[in-house]
Amino acid sequence: MSAVMVVHGGAWAIPHDLAEASVDGVKVAACEGFSVLQRGGSALDAVEAAVRALEDNTVFDAGHGAVLNADGEVELDAIIMDGRTLASGAVSSVNNIANPVSLARAVMEKTAHVLLTSRGANLFAESIGMATVPGDTLVTENERKAWRKNKNFATEVMEDFNCQAHDTVGAVAVDSAGNVACATSTGGIRNKMVGRVGDSSIIGAGGYADNLIGAVSCTGHGESILKVTLARLILSHIEQGKSLADASQLSLQYMGDRVRGAGGAIAVSPSGQWAATFTTERMAWSAVDHDGLWYGLDPNERLKEQWYDHLLPL
Amino acid sequence: MFPVVVVHGGAGQVPKERSEGSSLGVRMAARAGYAILRGGGSSMDAVVEAVSQLENDPFFNAGRGSLLNIKGEVEMDAIVRTFTIREKKKRRKNHVCLTAEGANRFARSVGVPEVPPESLVTEYSRMCWAKNLAPGTNRGDSQMSQMGKMGTVGAVAVDRQGNVACATSTGGVANKMEGRVGDTACIGSGGYADNQVGAVSSTGYGEAIMKVNLARLILFHMEQGQSVEAASGLGLAYMESRVGGLGGVVTVDPQGHWAARFSSLQMAWAAAQKDTLHYGMQTGEDFTHSIDDPL
Repeated sequence: MSAVMVVHGGAWAIPHDLAEASVDGVKVAACEGFSVLQRGGSALDAVEAAVRALEDNTVFDAGHGAVLNADGEVELDAIIMDGRTLASGAVSSVNNIANPVSLARAVMEKTAHVLLTSRGANLFAESIGMATVPGDTLVTENERKAWRKNKNFATEVMEDFNCQAHDTVGAVAVDSAGNVACATSTGGIRNKMVGRVGDSSIIGAGGYADNLIGAVSCTGHGESILKVTLARLILSHIEQGKSLADASQLSLQYMGDRVRGAGGAIAVSPSGQWAATFTTERMAWSAVDHDGLWYGLDPNERLKEQWYDHLLPL
Repeated sequence: MFPVVVVHGGAGQVPKERSEGSSLGVRMAARAGYAILRGGGSSMDAVVEAVSQLENDPFFNAGRGSLLNIKGEVEMDAIVRTFTIREKKKRRKNHVCLTAEGANRFARSVGVPEVPPESLVTEYSRMCWAKNLAPGTNRGDSQMSQMGKMGTVGAVAVDRQGNVACATSTGGVANKMEGRVGDTACIGSGGYADNQVGAVSSTGYGEAIMKVNLARLILFHMEQGQSVEAASGLGLAYMESRVGGLGGVVTVDPQGHWAARFSSLQMAWAAAQKDTLHYGMQTGEDFTHSIDDPL
C-alpha cells in the first residue's frame, strides 16, 4: 500500500503577487508530510507535519500570517483527526500559539475532550508547556495594513464573503498501513467578529477522517462549509460509491446552490486515491504519491514534478 | 401533515429523586412549543420556546441548573438551526458560531439580558461539582462515569409550512476542562436541520456524538430511505459500536413523523402532535394523554 499526502493552502481568488509563494508553500508542505510517511510515520504525524509547515509560512492565513479579527487580534482555529479510531482534537479562538494544529493534537491525546476554546485552550497549552508567542509576532505588516484598509471600507464590502481571502490550510494523508488522517488550520476571515468560529475546528465541517471511507480537509467560506457539514457530506457521497473527485464536486456544487458558498476540498481514500477540487477561482494544492509531486492553482491544472527535488535543504 | 414538536431533557442516568421533575419539565416544554405550532407559528419559534423553558428549569443541565466546569463556573453551549430557502435577515457579519467573550459581547450588542453567573448555579449542580472533585471519583471518560453527568436539552419541530428546525442547549459534562466545547454547539453533531430531510437534536456523551457527527449521520440514513425510528436507532448503534458512546436523539421529518430514541439508561422526552402529548423516560415507555389535560 503506497502512501499519499495532499495539502491545500486555501481556496479563493489568489492574486498574482501571492501565486508563486502559495504554490511553493504547498509543495514544500506536501514534501515534508510525505517524507514522514516515507520514514514509516503515521498519517496523523504526516498531516501534523504538513500543516505545521503551512502554519509557519506567512503567506497563508494560519498560525504565522493569520488575519486579524474586528479588534485587531489573532484568533486561531484548528482540527486534527485520526481515521483509525475517529479520535479528534480541535481548538478554536486561541491566540499566542504558533502551531494550533499541534495544540489540537494535544487536546486529542492528552484530554478526554475533542474541542477546547479560547482562554481554556490557552490555559491547557500553558499546562502542557507548549510555547506561547506574543500575538503580534504572528501578524505580518501586510496583514495589519490590509486590516486597517478593510476597517475603513463601507460595511457592504463585507457581504460578499466569496471574494475574501480564505487561505485556511489543510492536509490529508494515508500511510502504508492504510490509516487516514486529516488536519485543518486557520486564522479565519479578516475583520471577523470577536469569537467567530468557522468550520476549521468543527468536526465534520472543516475536516473528517474515517478509515472506512477516507479523509477530507476543506477550505473556503467557513459559514457555508458549516451549514452543509462539507467534509462529512463529501465522505457520505464516497460511501455511496462516488469517486473522490465526483463526491467533492457534487458536494461543493451543492454548497454553491444551497447556501451560495464557494470553497475547496482535498480528499484521500484508504486505498490511496486522492482528489483536489474547488469552486473558487483558484486553490493552491499539492499532492505526493508513488508517481511524483503534483500541484495546481487554476481550475483543471494538474502539473507534475519529481518530488525528491524538494527534499533538498532550503 | 401534522405539525409536531419533540423535546428531550438529556440522555443519561436521571437520579430517582429528580425523575419526576425532569418528566414534568419536558412535558411542559413540549406543550409550550406545541402552542406555538397550533397557533400557526414557526418551527424555529417552537423549538426556541421549548428549549428556553428547559434552560429556565433548574432540573436540566442547561441555562439555570447547568453543571459546572472544573473551576466551579458555568460555561454553556447552544445551537439553533433552520434551513429554509428564505433569505436570512441581512446582518452586518453573517456568522454561524461565536465563542466565549465574543459571544457575550454580541449578546450585549443585541440587548440579550445578562445575568449574574451565580444565578445560574443550583445547589444540585454545586453538589455534583464537589462530588466529582473528590479523589477516588471516577473522572475517566468511560460510559458509566459519563452517564450521571449529563442532561443537555433540545427540541425539534416541523410546522404547518413544512419547515423543520432544531435547538440544543447545555451546560456541558460535569467538571469539564475550562473551555471544553461538546457536541451541542457543533453543527452536525448536537443538531442539524434540513427541510429536505428532517431535523435532529442530540444528547449524551458529547465527545462520542462529535466523533460520529450523530445528527448528520441520522439524516444521511433518512436520505437513504430509512424511517425516523430506524435512522435514529442506526445512528445510536453505530456510535456505541464504533466509539463506545451512549446517548439519545429526537428526530422529525418534514412529513411529521417523529422519534425519541436513546441507548443510555434513560432520557426524559415528550412530543406533542394532533393535540396529544406523548412522553417517557425509560426504554419502551410511551405514555399519552390529551394536550389540554392538566400535567
